[in-house]
Amino acid sequence: MNGNKSQTGLFEKRMVMNETTTPAEYDRRGLGAWLLSCGLLIGGLGLATTSHAEMAEGFAEGSRPAPPPAEQVEAGKRVYFTKCVWCHGVEGAGDGPGADRLWPRPRNFNAGTFKIRHTASGELPLIDVDLFQTVTHGLPGSAMPSWEGILTEDQRRDVLAFVTTELVKDRSWQDTEFEEFHVLQLDQIQPVAPSVESIKRGSELVKEMKCIECHGVEGRGDGNAFNLKDDWGFSIQPADWHKCWNFRGSRQDAYNVKNIFRTFSTGVSGTPMPSFADNTTVEDRWHIANYVNHLCERDVDVDIAGGDVTDEIATALLAAKPRGIDPLTDKPKVDFVVPSKFVEGELPADEHDERWKLVDRRIVAMGGQITHKPRNFVTRIDDVWVQSLYNETHISFMFRWDDRTNSVQEDSVDWEPYEVNLGDYGIEEQEPGGSKFADDPEHPESIAAKQTAYQVFNDGLAFQFPIKWQELPAPRKPRYFWGDEGYPVDITKWTADGELKAYQGEGWDMDFEDRDDFTEELKMVKAEWKDGRWTVIVTRPLKGDYEEDAYIELGKYIPINFFVWDGHNGDVGRKMAVSAFYYLVLEPPIEKETYIYPTIAAIGLVLVEGWILTRRANRRKGKV
Amino acid sequence: MTWLKLVEGYMPMQMITELAICILVFSIINYSLKRAGMGLPKFWAGIFVWCFVNLFYLKYRIYPPIPFSVRAIYGTVAACGIFMWVSGSQQEWEEFKRPIINVLDAKTGLTKFVRTALLILLPIGLWGFAYNSFLPSFDEPIELRTVHPAPPATTKVHGKTYVLQTAANPFRINPEGKYDQAYSNAHIVSQDMGRLMKDVKNPEDNPWDPNAKGYIKHVREGGEIFFQNCHFCHGDNLNGRGLWAFAFNPIPANFTDAGTIAQLQETFVFWRVAKGGIGLPGEGFPWASVMPPWEQHLTVDEIWKVIMFEYWHTGYYPRTWE
Repeated sequence: MNGNKSQTGLFEKRMVMNETTTPAEYDRRGLGAWLLSCGLLIGGLGLATTSHAEMAEGFAEGSRPAPPPAEQVEAGKRVYFTKCVWCHGVEGAGDGPGADRLWPRPRNFNAGTFKIRHTASGELPLIDVDLFQTVTHGLPGSAMPSWEGILTEDQRRDVLAFVTTELVKDRSWQDTEFEEFHVLQLDQIQPVAPSVESIKRGSELVKEMKCIECHGVEGRGDGNAFNLKDDWGFSIQPADWHKCWNFRGSRQDAYNVKNIFRTFSTGVSGTPMPSFADNTTVEDRWHIANYVNHLCERDVDVDIAGGDVTDEIATALLAAKPRGIDPLTDKPKVDFVVPSKFVEGELPADEHDERWKLVDRRIVAMGGQITHKPRNFVTRIDDVWVQSLYNETHISFMFRWDDRTNSVQEDSVDWEPYEVNLGDYGIEEQEPGGSKFADDPEHPESIAAKQTAYQVFNDGLAFQFPIKWQELPAPRKPRYFWGDEGYPVDITKWTADGELKAYQGEGWDMDFEDRDDFTEELKMVKAEWKDGRWTVIVTRPLKGDYEEDAYIELGKYIPINFFVWDGHNGDVGRKMAVSAFYYLVLEPPIEKETYIYPTIAAIGLVLVEGWILTRRANRRKGKV
Repeated sequence: MTWLKLVEGYMPMQMITELAICILVFSIINYSLKRAGMGLPKFWAGIFVWCFVNLFYLKYRIYPPIPFSVRAIYGTVAACGIFMWVSGSQQEWEEFKRPIINVLDAKTGLTKFVRTALLILLPIGLWGFAYNSFLPSFDEPIELRTVHPAPPATTKVHGKTYVLQTAANPFRINPEGKYDQAYSNAHIVSQDMGRLMKDVKNPEDNPWDPNAKGYIKHVREGGEIFFQNCHFCHGDNLNGRGLWAFAFNPIPANFTDAGTIAQLQETFVFWRVAKGGIGLPGEGFPWASVMPPWEQHLTVDEIWKVIMFEYWHTGYYPRTWE
């Protein structure tokens, strides 16, 4: 059987079955029967014998795990009902009490479908390797934590014994008739070292293999992606290759290319991501893995020009250094100081201005707004990159963040842009559902049901400074959420419909006040959504009216925090993602003293040297 | 170079022993070389000892690292000691300073070269060092926040006033329906690694047992609330490492740490949960905390249940007033 065809066919079959049958009905037997019929059909034509006769390159026959002893299953049950049941549910159907407010959803174990594997597409995972590593390292980018250091190694193996025997209901590792194990020999395969050629070849292959149809031309997960669904009908989105720390299979080792090679070789079961083992050589798989790995954000922002990777781009990608990953969060380390540097003359007109390279870009971590109603449990934006430059009169901010959808509100809304209490207009928090499927008629308002069906609002970004922050006794600040009574904040808000406005906030539930005079002074330099990323550049005067607008002064720590809305996620008003407080610091141009004093010291040292030498010479003369 | 670091706790004794051994080994080598007629020059030996102690041992071997200022003091003391050692007699002192004098006099090609190089490099080095220390640096300012500020005497939640001294969790009950902390303490998770429920087959220990009732059933209800509301920050294992913990500052409390709920009365936790970050006094930085005032989202009963779940799941007891 032609591997490529079977892969696509399998996938299509899955999607078709999904529409007509419930996942519970859709099980291994359906799949097995289908494979069998294919085998018979093609076998009858004399083209091939069985479906697994030809193993894809890089795979070898694996061994079947022994059934766990009953005591181990019982011990695992104790672990499961203490730690796991809360999200994965009593029957392991991924429908625990926490499930509906999670995205990605917790795994439904029943069908034996597991995403991260060394085994060939459609096969059960290796318990000791794949599932053990998942429990040990967690699944970054989801709520599944790393259980290392919390559960002992034995406890982790125990719980797997319970899950694989009791909760995987439709298939069995012991089923010798249907279950085979063809294992990717990841440790034996010689990797292709990353190089300019390899990265360039990878960038061509992702187009040839049509990866970019879902993952987007720059790999930000913005392709034909919004309506993708998994086997249970839940909304699912292609990985953003620029955030390797969120790769579910990253195993707490984000920049390790082997993880990408593995996922690409074995596919992500239960999702539209197929295995490419049958139609891609091992070498080509390494080229793709190298390219994808080097797209992950590093110390410099390399413009990959829509994926048309030239020698120059590949060299820059190769030269960039990985970012430090915080071992406590498995995300890039956060620095709470946002530096701004002085530039002469006009501030940059776009993102290509060379002067942006003068200043470090900072990652601002974003979390869902879950303090006040309506809380946002499922966010699609988890970070924003910020850079800032200033001149004598103005300061410029460049915000860039990955957003799979360009959301511009089309239908008119009943509220005004300055209003924040939108409950009266029907913008309400969603009650937790508790469903195994997205389209459960019993839970029509669940997050899972609504996730791709919200009214589309504007994407947006805002940042706030305390007004008259100079007068606040440190560390007092206005509240992070639009200030509080007596502690007003200066809010600058941009929305994707082209508005850039200055507001004053005095509390999370207080409508904004327009600051029209200052709005006139704001300048939207650029706002563009391209290939899954927003680039928004705004400038504002350093100073306005002292009583109303935050004065931005040199060399001071000015509290700032950020808000971001994803219109396709139904984000509007208080439903958004929010950051902690950061500090904006305008680094003053280097003062003359910085050069003068060291020079004086150096000259002094030269004089001392001369004195010592002269004295020595005189003494020797005297002696002679 | 983690293998180099001293284990915390053994440090002082281990350090003294190790240094003593080093000195002994060095003395033996030095003495044997001397006997063999290849004695180390005093000048280089002095520099070697100082570098070993100050630049290597104190900097890399000691853990946690000691601050630069303390190392500078040790370095000075070590330098004084070395001076005393090398100036023990007039002859030794002459021997020690000979290389310095040689360079100053610069009679050979090599010493001439060294002297010229030093004359040029020293001022340049000094300039660079001074320039670096004059450059302004903008590190994150340190702000000290009180994690457990003093609670008020009473708190009003959903229209009812609770006196923190006398309020009690209405769900912490024994099978007879009476408030009973000894009973609930007997059914929290075990204290060993993993903190698992004591007996999965016992409906008094397993919140998910179909026959669970009373205290342990309320624990499950609390857990359901926790996993719909709290784990986003406080984490699936209540260790403060939730999905969004990385985004927020102050970071979410780690309930498995012996310094959080294990140190607090249940009514204190009730006040903190009900009023959230915004309800903190100034020293707790109410402006920065994203902890919701849970009275906006949960009923009083739900708050009590979720607190009970937190104690159950971490295996801690609330502190009592006794």
